[in-house]
Amino acid sequence: MLLPLANILHHKLRSVLCAFGIGIAVCMLLALSGLARGTLYEVAERWEQVDADWIAYPQFLGEDVTGMAGPVIPDAIAGALRAADGGRLVQRVTPVFMRRMDFAGQPQTVVGVDTEALPTLLGGREIARGRPFDPDGRCAAWLEEQLLAPATDAAEPLVISERDLASRGGLEIVIDSRLAAAGGYELGQTVESADHTWTIVGIVPAGGMARVFLPRRTAQFLLGDGTITKSTALFVKLRPEASARQAVGRLRAAAGPGVGFLEVAQYRRELERRFGILFQYVDAVNAIALVIAFLFVMLTLYTMVLQRTREIAILKSSGASNGFILRQIIAESLLLTGVGAAVGIALGYLAAWGIQTAKPLYTVTITPRWIGIAVAAAAGGAVAAALYPAWRACRVDLLEALTLE
Amino acid sequence: MTEVQTILAAERLDKSLGKGAARVHVLRGLDLRVRRGEFLAVMGPSGCGKSTLLHVLGQMTPPDGGRVLFDGRPVANSRAARNELRRRAIGFVFQRFNLIDVLSAADNVRISLRVRGLPADGRAGELFDAMGVAHVAARKPGQMSIGEQQRVAVARAMAHRPAVLLADEPTGNLDSASAEALLALLRRVNRQRRQTIVMITHSEEAAGHADRVVHMRDGRIFDDR
Repeated sequence: MLLPLANILHHKLRSVLCAFGIGIAVCMLLALSGLARGTLYEVAERWEQVDADWIAYPQFLGEDVTGMAGPVIPDAIAGALRAADGGRLVQRVTPVFMRRMDFAGQPQTVVGVDTEALPTLLGGREIARGRPFDPDGRCAAWLEEQLLAPATDAAEPLVISERDLASRGGLEIVIDSRLAAAGGYELGQTVESADHTWTIVGIVPAGGMARVFLPRRTAQFLLGDGTITKSTALFVKLRPEASARQAVGRLRAAAGPGVGFLEVAQYRRELERRFGILFQYVDAVNAIALVIAFLFVMLTLYTMVLQRTREIAILKSSGASNGFILRQIIAESLLLTGVGAAVGIALGYLAAWGIQTAKPLYTVTITPRWIGIAVAAAAGGAVAAALYPAWRACRVDLLEALTLE
Repeated sequence: MTEVQTILAAERLDKSLGKGAARVHVLRGLDLRVRRGEFLAVMGPSGCGKSTLLHVLGQMTPPDGGRVLFDGRPVANSRAARNELRRRAIGFVFQRFNLIDVLSAADNVRISLRVRGLPADGRAGELFDAMGVAHVAARKPGQMSIGEQQRVAVARAMAHRPAVLLADEPTGNLDSASAEALLALLRRVNRQRRQTIVMITHSEEAAGHADRVVHMRDGRIFDDR
């Protein structure tokens, strides 16, 4: 390490630029992968918090389970599932209605859920400040009365105003602490979204299934097709004694044709399948950045070899073997890369902090696995980048280098 | 003189340099014997093949014809064998010192030892004391006088205790005072350590420090005194 280290310290600007180039590539690798995977897996982890075994969804969605939204599955199926196997199979069915709405300047999946079922989606978290929306179910009951009652010929056309809903607690929402921090939202504050004015009545610690929860009946009515007979998905919790794998056949039979079932634990895989192309894109960009960085290292080492033929010849005149010369060049490359990787890891954490500060709802997860991948890629690149310059160094003509100045 | 007394010998050495029309026949059947512990000076006009002889003797390039014997045994004509001999038994002092610019004087000696797989123990310090350059041990070549650089170069060449020290016009770039000091140093090393030295020089004065002087002309030894 004596000579490689001396050369690195002697050519400070060159070394700093080289290490910085590698650092940027490593930083890109960590930050982009961390952002893509972190944001996606954060969604997966939130879904895994739901206290359910299966998700029932309309099969016409095909492979696009992760993009489901709006009124797509009849609520009546919830009753059929509850009654499956004489009521001995299912402990609980939780219908949810999902839509994308803008909060804190960013689209969010908002989840409509019945007030009493809200804890099912929070993974054991309790509302930290405030209270649940529509706490006594007054608005839900009123909407059911208005919209589910049999129509009569003499009835006036039904008009439900925003005021009707607001006065009964129908436009109340519960948000998570991360969205509250990102949007600067406070308890009691009103927020405009989807052409409606919502009141924040509760803030729950982040980590539940969604960042915004609202009454399901309101969501069905305002964000759906004006009826309250369909939801987006049904979370099915089996009784403890029921086997999830064996139960699915009976669930399918109870739900009837057109209803698909996905294990909650498999939702992550569905996300990966749908957004895997994003990972491939990010990985490709990272690979290109690494290749460019190591072409830069190779060019630097090659230039160094051309400039230091006399030094190499001096070593050879002392009897240095080709292996010794090779090790010197590779060691210099590994030292530069080691410093670059360390800089890159530090920059990666800095970038993660910067991204999450600028966009608080993005998640950048830098894991030991990805640090390992970055360091391994950097080490492999360092050796590969050093091979050709090292080969050239081994071919330096001893006499020519020592006698021609 | 017995074979045992001869540490290095050249027999009918032939060597050409350059390619095609520019090819020059430099050594032409040259014979030379160097005795163990002697200080030999090789003189001759420019282009007579002095430096090429040193390079062939020092295994930096193979001869085209003839052979080199080290300690009575012919040196195998393989890169590995020449490399091994250079690493184990030969020390070089160059006219342009050829110190590594990015290393301190002490590190120049250390890297030379490492190349040879030897421990960089206190040998550099001892040699620097002996060469009178202990005060520049931490300096890089650019921070030393040329006289100091050449003394460090001698220390480096001797660090692994070579059987033969080959010096190619070691005083060629020095002023007269530095040259005289270096020659006195080489003489002292030769006397005190019985170090075999082969020195190429243009200078009669420098050659005066040697035990024996040989003259070269047209690629051959023509005068051996």
